[in-house]
Amino acid sequence: MLQLKNIYKWFNTGSNRTFILKDINLDIKQGEFVSIMGPSGSGKSTLLNVMGMLDEPNEGKYIFLDQDVLHMKEKQRSEIYKSHIGFVFQAYHLIDELTVYENIETPLIYQNIKSGERKGMVADMLDRFQIVGKKDLFPNQLSGGQQQLVGIARALIVKPKLILADEPTGNLNSKQGEEIMNIFKELNGEGVTIIQVTHSEKNAEYGSRIIHLLDGRIEKES
Amino acid sequence: MIKNYFKTAWRYIKKHKAYSLINILGLALGIASCLIIFLVVQYELGYDQFYKKSDRTYRVTLNQLDFNPSVSMGVVPALRTDFPELEDVSQVWYRKSALLEIHNEKYEEKGMMYADKYFPEIFDQHWLEGNPKTALTDPNSIVLTESIAHKYFGNKEAMGQFIKLENKYNLKITGVIKNVLGNTHLPFNMIVSFATVENDVKGMMSNFYAIADGSFAYIVTPKNYHISQMQSLMHGFIEKNWGKDIAKDAKLPLQPLTDIHFDQRYLNNTISYTTSRETYYALIAIAVLIIIIACINFINLATAQAIRRAKEVGVRKVLGSTRSQLIKQFLGETTFMVLIAMILGLLVTAFFLPLLSTWLSLKISIAQLLQSSVILVTVLVAISIIILAGLYPAFVQSAFRPIESLKSKPSLTFSGLTLRKSLVVIQFAICQVMIIGTLVVAYQIDFFENRDLGFDKEAVISFKIPDKSKTEVLRNELQNNPGVKQVSFSSGAPVISNNFTSFTSPESGIKKEDVTELKFIDEDYTKMFALKMLAGESVQRTETSDNDSVHNVVVNETMIHKLGIQDPQKAIGKYILLNGSWNATITGVVKDFQSESKHKKIRPCVLLYNKNAFFMVSARLQTSNMNQTIARIDKAWSSLFPQNVFSYEFLDDHIAAWYSQEQKEYTAFKLFALIAIIIGSMGLYGLITFAAAQRGKEVGIRKVLGASLADIVFLFSKEFVILIAIAFLIAAPLAYYIMYNWLQSFAYQINIGANIFVIAILSSFIIAAFTIGYQAIKAGIVNPINSLRSE
Repeated sequence: MLQLKNIYKWFNTGSNRTFILKDINLDIKQGEFVSIMGPSGSGKSTLLNVMGMLDEPNEGKYIFLDQDVLHMKEKQRSEIYKSHIGFVFQAYHLIDELTVYENIETPLIYQNIKSGERKGMVADMLDRFQIVGKKDLFPNQLSGGQQQLVGIARALIVKPKLILADEPTGNLNSKQGEEIMNIFKELNGEGVTIIQVTHSEKNAEYGSRIIHLLDGRIEKES
Repeated sequence: MIKNYFKTAWRYIKKHKAYSLINILGLALGIASCLIIFLVVQYELGYDQFYKKSDRTYRVTLNQLDFNPSVSMGVVPALRTDFPELEDVSQVWYRKSALLEIHNEKYEEKGMMYADKYFPEIFDQHWLEGNPKTALTDPNSIVLTESIAHKYFGNKEAMGQFIKLENKYNLKITGVIKNVLGNTHLPFNMIVSFATVENDVKGMMSNFYAIADGSFAYIVTPKNYHISQMQSLMHGFIEKNWGKDIAKDAKLPLQPLTDIHFDQRYLNNTISYTTSRETYYALIAIAVLIIIIACINFINLATAQAIRRAKEVGVRKVLGSTRSQLIKQFLGETTFMVLIAMILGLLVTAFFLPLLSTWLSLKISIAQLLQSSVILVTVLVAISIIILAGLYPAFVQSAFRPIESLKSKPSLTFSGLTLRKSLVVIQFAICQVMIIGTLVVAYQIDFFENRDLGFDKEAVISFKIPDKSKTEVLRNELQNNPGVKQVSFSSGAPVISNNFTSFTSPESGIKKEDVTELKFIDEDYTKMFALKMLAGESVQRTETSDNDSVHNVVVNETMIHKLGIQDPQKAIGKYILLNGSWNATITGVVKDFQSESKHKKIRPCVLLYNKNAFFMVSARLQTSNMNQTIARIDKAWSSLFPQNVFSYEFLDDHIAAWYSQEQKEYTAFKLFALIAIIIGSMGLYGLITFAAAQRGKEVGIRKVLGASLADIVFLFSKEFVILIAIAFLIAAPLAYYIMYNWLQSFAYQINIGANIFVIAILSSFIIAAFTIGYQAIKAGIVNPINSLRSE
């Protein structure tokens, strides 16, 4: 599904060059469930952002679905991730001014899907996560776990091939966290590729593959 | 998609009420100002343009030493004979007021004029009754406007009824027309057929210089006619009809109908005021400036809060929004706010329009808000606001990169501080220019009405004597009235009823005729008006008759300067020749006094005794119980002159009327300066509120370190003090330049003193202090524990 080849990312402080990612080589197949682990500052989030095309490496090659995305124009690239990638964040990042229903609906609007069709798709999603009763509430009226459910529903609505999750359970208690991980597991069973960044050994275990990062390098894989 | 944008916009407005209120109210006030200014400008610049033939209509005026809109009544018949190609030629004789008798009751009514049967051809009216082609053909016919007909005949049929005019003519009503629009130079209420008076004025027709005040001649040229060609034929026209001598000095300029309102050369004897087009261009500029101030508020508040929306921008981008979609979203929000502001602005305009029409003495009705041109302007203003105010913030906000804005602790920086400060400077500068402008206009008007008049105008009323044989009876009556301090009989108080005549002074080498004012006064006149005698004595009571050709006269300073004399004493005993035949000996010199508006230079003036010309009474009243005194005068006057209706005028009011145009400008300036200040202050308040919130932590730390409330207030204020000072450096010279030029349109003007600038900058500081003060103090008294609590 995606290949990273010799990815470097750095920033310059004075005459020093500080590396965030150093020579990352990764090959992730369709249907995998990958957990990225590592201490704070090891480059996990940056790596995820590079894979999500939100950030660009300074050097290296990135092939996504057989396309060299680093040489694409911004517009083409956003076209790709719009239709293939769903993002889930630690801080949920729901739009405060929109209701649950509208938050889930938003990505469809950007894909120019017709109103009638959107209604059905959102309704399915609300059903699936059993949040129909909450559809008219605003994010600040929900618990953290519920907000993250909405976040995942929003990521899934475009039927992405890949879900990128940055510490999806970081702000949740263990019970809520477990629920979320079970949902990921279930999704993975349906064929969705999942890449998550996590601190928790336990959550990492849900994945089929764990990548350990340290100081911007892949330290080990298991 | 649009629905989604509007939904977010609406919720955002609801969530950030203060911010939205500032923006919407500011924009609404701006839009309302624009609409009002548009209506005023449309009204003023549209003077006389609603007549169908207005582009081909000219008024034949007189230029001989001076510009006079009135011409001899002999001009119209001569034009008809000599220029048969003219489509229409019409004679009007405008009388400011008329004495009417209806059902045995007497009334004084304004706006009466005589006009011939060709008048309706040129000035098309909406005829409710009567036939425009024949209504003014026969003698003793009168056409009324709807409101006059209604005033005197109620709901009864006015057509065919009779009105007695000036105790003399018995007129039959032959037509009723819709009220004449307010923006015409000829605002009449009644037209009496010219045939009614034709025989009475026959004598004047043969004399080129026998000019009845308000005798106007109008012509309509055929289509594709070259007016300049006709103008060049006028010299020959005068020579042919009135002789070489007259043709040498006199010109008959053909004044386009649509220029009459703006031709300030004809300051005297105009029925409606004249004005300059520049005034209205200035108003348009003010409208633009007010909109700019409101847009600056919008830009400043939007960029100051941009970071608040950064997360949303990040999320939307991650969810697949492109930048252009985000720009559209933000512009959509702006559009939404502008739409609300637009509706509010229209409501505000509709609400205040009647009040403003009174203030600015305009005849504009609320219905005019529904004109297509008004709607077009509203839409244009709204679109320009959306572009001016919305585009930049939309670009800034949509530029945030998701990766930065989505971090759990965003370290985003978009301060845009320099831009914001520059914009605030612009706002302050605009406000200061408007404050300075308003002050200059105010000082100039005060100067006009109250300074250097050269005579005492306090509590003086002026009224007519219809019958001169009763002068002494009236004088006794007035002197016995305890409410009357002083009385004088004359041809008119210093500012009322000017007569002019020619003068030469062979003795001083002035052979070419020049023009002088002429006032016939009694022996009490100079004392009563406190005119200052510089040399010699005032006039003496003599038994002169109209046929006398030797006179003792008092002249003003300007006159002796014309004669080449500087020392008033040396002028005593000099001769001047008045009206070609009167030998006048100067027996007194009086300090210059204002007899015309200060738009013009003071002219030579001759004062002499001639009781046959005492048409007017001036009476200075005791300031207590004035109404009672006037009622008593009215009673005495009315019993002496039962055929007439008593009407009087205060000199104060008469003088103020000269400057009604400047008064209107002053009112407009005051109003729009105030609006500009209000909008600017609201924006400033928004910014300081935001800054106070943003710097809460800093304030907390400073307080813990020992800062006092004053220190904190100073922390917030010092920046604005600097900004105001910079704005002042821009505004002061700019305002000086603009207002200096404005003042040059008057013959006499104030100096723009330093005090005006001091007031302007002080008021800016005071306004800013009030705006900033509350939030600064609020931030200063917050317990630092609250702001320093770690998240």
